[in-house]
Amino acid sequence: MDHKRIFCTIAALAVACMGFTAALRADETCNSPYMSRLIKGQEDYVYVWTLGVQGLGDGSDKLVTVNVNPKSKNYGKVIYSVSTGARAEAHHMGFTDDRRHIWAGGLSDNRIWVFDIATDPAKPKLVRTISDLGDKSGYLGPHTYYALPGRMLVQALSNTRDKGGATGMVLYNNQGKQLDSYAMPAEGGGYGYDLAVNPKKNVMLTSSFTGYANYMRPLGELINDGEAMKNFGSTMVIWDLKAIKPTKVLAVPGAPLEIRWSLNPKDNWAITATALTSKLWLVKQDAKGAWIAKEVGTIGDPSKIPLPVDISITRDGKGLWVNTFMDGKTRYFDLSNPEAPKQTYEKATGKQVNMISQSWDGKRVYITSSLLANWDKGGADNEQFLRGFAWDGKELAQKFEVDFTKEKLGRAHHMKLGSEVLRSSAAGG
Amino acid sequence: MSSRRGIQRAARPLALLAALACAPISGAQQGAPLAEPDFIPPAPGTYTLHHIMAAPEGQVLGIDGRPQPLSHYTRGQITLLGFIYTQCTDPEGCPLAYRVFDALKAAITATPSLHGKLRFVTLSFDPARDSPDVMRQYAGSRVAEKDGGLPWYFLTTRSARELMPLVEGFGQDINITFDRSVGRPQRELSHVLKVFLIDRAGDVREIYTSTFLYPRLVLNDIETLLIEEDPRRSRAPVKVTSNRRPGLTTLGASSQPWRLANLRVEL
Repeated sequence: MDHKRIFCTIAALAVACMGFTAALRADETCNSPYMSRLIKGQEDYVYVWTLGVQGLGDGSDKLVTVNVNPKSKNYGKVIYSVSTGARAEAHHMGFTDDRRHIWAGGLSDNRIWVFDIATDPAKPKLVRTISDLGDKSGYLGPHTYYALPGRMLVQALSNTRDKGGATGMVLYNNQGKQLDSYAMPAEGGGYGYDLAVNPKKNVMLTSSFTGYANYMRPLGELINDGEAMKNFGSTMVIWDLKAIKPTKVLAVPGAPLEIRWSLNPKDNWAITATALTSKLWLVKQDAKGAWIAKEVGTIGDPSKIPLPVDISITRDGKGLWVNTFMDGKTRYFDLSNPEAPKQTYEKATGKQVNMISQSWDGKRVYITSSLLANWDKGGADNEQFLRGFAWDGKELAQKFEVDFTKEKLGRAHHMKLGSEVLRSSAAGG
Repeated sequence: MSSRRGIQRAARPLALLAALACAPISGAQQGAPLAEPDFIPPAPGTYTLHHIMAAPEGQVLGIDGRPQPLSHYTRGQITLLGFIYTQCTDPEGCPLAYRVFDALKAAITATPSLHGKLRFVTLSFDPARDSPDVMRQYAGSRVAEKDGGLPWYFLTTRSARELMPLVEGFGQDINITFDRSVGRPQRELSHVLKVFLIDRAGDVREIYTSTFLYPRLVLNDIETLLIEEDPRRSRAPVKVTSNRRPGLTTLGASSQPWRLANLRVEL
């Protein structure tokens, strides 16, 4: 193996170790249960939270609106974008409970940008910038934005003190006032990543990743730093949702990332994928009602580091999409028996793929390409796109593509769906 | 806590729950028994109810048609406020809220220590159809009377212009659709059920949706606000347990470092 190839392999491994922060609730089936106004018909727009690239367009992070209604003359085209004027490792976003606003942030910056999507769903408007997350809470890298009634719970990845993995969650009201903060349990190393709730059981579940010092560090340094490589999450935490207090720490080795509760009203289980070990884990109650985590499946060949980066559950809890970054594959698992997920389909959907979103009816699937600015592949493999697919239960058929490099937009990352139906309207008479 | 007063304090939540369990569901909204939560809620006073926001201000009309600022009904006592419209039929919407309010009213009425500390407010978000007279009919026998110490006010507004600042201030979702399949367009309202717990100062302290609107939880929250006013009450800590075995080799937090060798890739 020549040096160049060795470097590429090391880089790929580093990506495998580091580049899995880019996945979260991306689709209509993965929103907070407190969020109103799900889009259960044809969505009109996909909002893409896009990382700015120096020298490309204005170089800023931006929220891009793509028309995805097949009946529109603009189907598959960018119809609007609004820049933040900053380049802050744009990463994830989330709707407020009333779906009037999107909160979006970056991993290298503690600012949160709030966009109004109700006044004109086609043209999000930046209406507020929240800048006090780090100063008041001591946390860094806002990652997950999870709607609670009248509030937004933000999961951070790091802290301002040492930029390590010890972190916590910050509670805001919908007007952007910080109300409280909560440290992740020290027993699990203090790591955080995703959060998702099950109100029926008064349970919140969190997962774990790593801190700024690792996820923003140059690859070559990191992989040669044995101490730094210890600093990854290996736990999930059960919380009392009402009190927002941890009640149990579950061992889930391999950096458990996205959390999806089954949306079937009869179910009370959640599933997650571990980035480092390529496993599916089920979180459920045992016969005595105690919450447990158990490994239930394997994603691809873990020895080849497929690196699962995003999952998307169907509305009936019977199926799960899994995107793996390294091999650019999209896999579908039959979850009819969540104790034994069975892969039934796979397709290479890009040279690098990251986020995956699906419509409420599961007939449309959207995929983006970017993981992290520093960890995306190079050269011809550095595709930056939004691709739309139709899913008939047997085959993913690509319907459109937006080339984010050609359009001078940046790196396509997190997605949320929009609709003209959600345009603000006056009430009463 | 050894005094009689202490015993009385400790017994208050139990008495509330006992009263709730015995409370009859009355009125036209009577239906199936209200569901109990499928979990043990945290004990009153062991958690924080944040000051989510100030309840918005605006003009409202009572069933007598007199205008008053909404703050007249949201300050000075702990207030439970819910938006409704009288033609709502969604079982997970207004009827559910009504049944929960009824159950709570019965429980509170049976608990003299709460008399004079609470009020209910039902506010219409359909001023075009819900006039003060319509609200009076909707209220029936529930309308505020001296019936055990629980005032229940049924309010509406003059117009959408007066309503909207209240709706938006509370963050109450409303959708309006027009059904044109029946000849003349018929306006239809729909909403996501939200009920607001407001403290004596007029701050919203909890927002309940249909997934969390259990009388038991609301009573706990009311009790928590009362404990907040009387911090001498005891608070039970939440115990943190773990399934992690000592020495368990996992990634990250354990003593076992994550190594490239773990990935089983040879360079």
